[in-house]
Amino acid sequence: MFNRLKSAVIGAVNGLESANGAIEGTHYNKTTLAPKFPYGRPHFLSLGDDEVQMSADHKLRPIIHPSKPLPHDTGYAECVNAGKSRWNEDQAVYRQGILSKATPNEDGSVQKFAIPYTYYGIFDGHAGVGAALCAAFQLHHIIHEKLVDAQDDIWVSFSKKNLPCKPRDLLIIGALESAFKEMDQLLSEDRNKYQAAGGCTALVALFILGKLYVANAGDSRAIICKNDKYSPMSMDFTPENERDRIRRLAQEQPSLLGNEFTAKEYIGSPKSGDLGKTVMFRDAYMKGWAYKTLQPEDLRVSVITGRGKRSRVMGTIGVTRGFGDHDLTAVYQKLPIKPFLSSHPEVQVHLLSAADDKEVLVMGTDGLWDVVDGHKAADIVAKSINAFEDKKFVSAATCLVGYARGSLNNSWMLKEGKPASCDDISVFVIPLLPYQVEYEELLKKCFLNETSETSSDENIETAK
Amino acid sequence: MSYAYLFKYIIIGDTGVGKSCLLLQFTDKRFQPVHDLTIGVEFGARMITIDSKQIKLQIWDTAGQEAFRSITRSYYRGAAGALLVYDITRRETFNHLTTWLDDARQHSNSNMVIMLIGNKSDLESRREVKQEEGAAFAREHGLVFMETSAKTAANVEEAFINTAKEIYEKIQEGVFDINNEANGIKIGPQHSPTNPSLPGAGGSGGSQGSSCC
Repeated sequence: MFNRLKSAVIGAVNGLESANGAIEGTHYNKTTLAPKFPYGRPHFLSLGDDEVQMSADHKLRPIIHPSKPLPHDTGYAECVNAGKSRWNEDQAVYRQGILSKATPNEDGSVQKFAIPYTYYGIFDGHAGVGAALCAAFQLHHIIHEKLVDAQDDIWVSFSKKNLPCKPRDLLIIGALESAFKEMDQLLSEDRNKYQAAGGCTALVALFILGKLYVANAGDSRAIICKNDKYSPMSMDFTPENERDRIRRLAQEQPSLLGNEFTAKEYIGSPKSGDLGKTVMFRDAYMKGWAYKTLQPEDLRVSVITGRGKRSRVMGTIGVTRGFGDHDLTAVYQKLPIKPFLSSHPEVQVHLLSAADDKEVLVMGTDGLWDVVDGHKAADIVAKSINAFEDKKFVSAATCLVGYARGSLNNSWMLKEGKPASCDDISVFVIPLLPYQVEYEELLKKCFLNETSETSSDENIETAK
Repeated sequence: MSYAYLFKYIIIGDTGVGKSCLLLQFTDKRFQPVHDLTIGVEFGARMITIDSKQIKLQIWDTAGQEAFRSITRSYYRGAAGALLVYDITRRETFNHLTTWLDDARQHSNSNMVIMLIGNKSDLESRREVKQEEGAAFAREHGLVFMETSAKTAANVEEAFINTAKEIYEKIQEGVFDINNEANGIKIGPQHSPTNPSLPGAGGSGGSQGSSCC
């Protein structure tokens, strides 16, 4: 999410030195603490130390994929950046879990349930590798705990008991939301115990009971592709997209801005020579423009600057949601930035009942989306699925990463001759149909003996 | 484990000629009759000894499928050795050698040692390419040649080790610039020219732990 320059600047003022120190074995003052988790690549790649070294070759940027198939032939591929950081700061994870319980009935029989779920996550780290590693090692445990808290109600909602309960979507969305918050708190608590971790974005997909829940905090992106069509399953949380939230927060808590930044927007860029003149402005809650006489405090820097990929909060960070960054400060002014960042995910729900064997969820870090749009991604995925007999989805993931990485001439170029992505790139390509099949099997198993075969799911109201 | 040199290899050739099986036989000393199709690239590594020096081979096993050609091409760069493999029971894999060779010469450094390998020598009854043909092709293009069997392990060690010997000789002759990592050769930590004293010699400075990786 950072351009190279920016990450160098932030690295200089924030834990990047210490993070590199952990890897290179060099100790900087203040960083005698150990990292919480050793650096490595995602568990399902099973890379040895040698292979981790080989995977971090900035000149070759090898595209790594799992040597053993993931569940349902899910595809994954990744490659390292072109040199902006020593190591690949993305992380990825998948887990399969079961929510299960056995309750003795009054007549002595035992009532059991077992609800399987599958979880995928990708985390794009910045200013160090620590936060993304923590998320990859810990977030699924927290989500599991939250789901266990809700599992009795989830089961009731599923098993046609006509008992009053909250809509299942809201239970699962709530579990994800509260887990994201707890993950961020955990990183905060770890600050005094472990080496500075930096921050990371988080994009999580949860398949449970015939639905897909995508929780996103950051600028990684998920889309559903079907043939050459696609539909977004997340929005990017960048300073530009979160302009309203951040400016309103700044306006309500002006102390967060020090004497350096302003929540107001002005037409033109007022300069000290314009003092006393009339300028057009709007505050954080205004839609339209109004007039005022230019005062010295109007010359402060806007809390959000830049456009698109280059938009920044306090001139420093280009992503507004995720985990960590608890000690991040503005580049020059040293004001804390964390109050403007949020760990709260947006959760989108997708019913799997219409899934077919061409339908996939593509999850990628911004290294992919910087140079590939939804159309292009859907196109590459559709071609791979049609071209390969075997290993369709890992081939699709490899082709997506291969396209976005491009090839090295003087610099990394796409095959169309435009600049390729120099960032770390990580991509999951997850077929949807197997999770619908799994759900139908669960329905059969649970309701085989009951007269009505209609899915209890039909009357579950969707969130929103 | 420390090494005097690290050589980077790449294995190329048509799909199904046995590239991954050769690597598996060399690194794990086992044969897997049904090997999954390789996608993109897979890695292997093994330590060998030449001239009583420890040499680490870092091997990049590439996908033979046309669909991955543009990706695998990017891995030629920075390889010191290449194993160009065909299947002696499938004539077309031999016919494609010139294409592979052109690709390799175009995308690699000019000193790269190329070993031509006719694999599946255990399947004599199904042979379509005579050994002499392989040898003639190798002579014509300045390659080293061997027939191997990833199944019986015949000549597999030799193929990898002889390639390393060629590279080692080129280093001795000064053909390879060993300080340029783009040549696919790395000097082990204790042999670094900036620290020529023998390991454990307790030289001045004492900054022994400055490994490059």
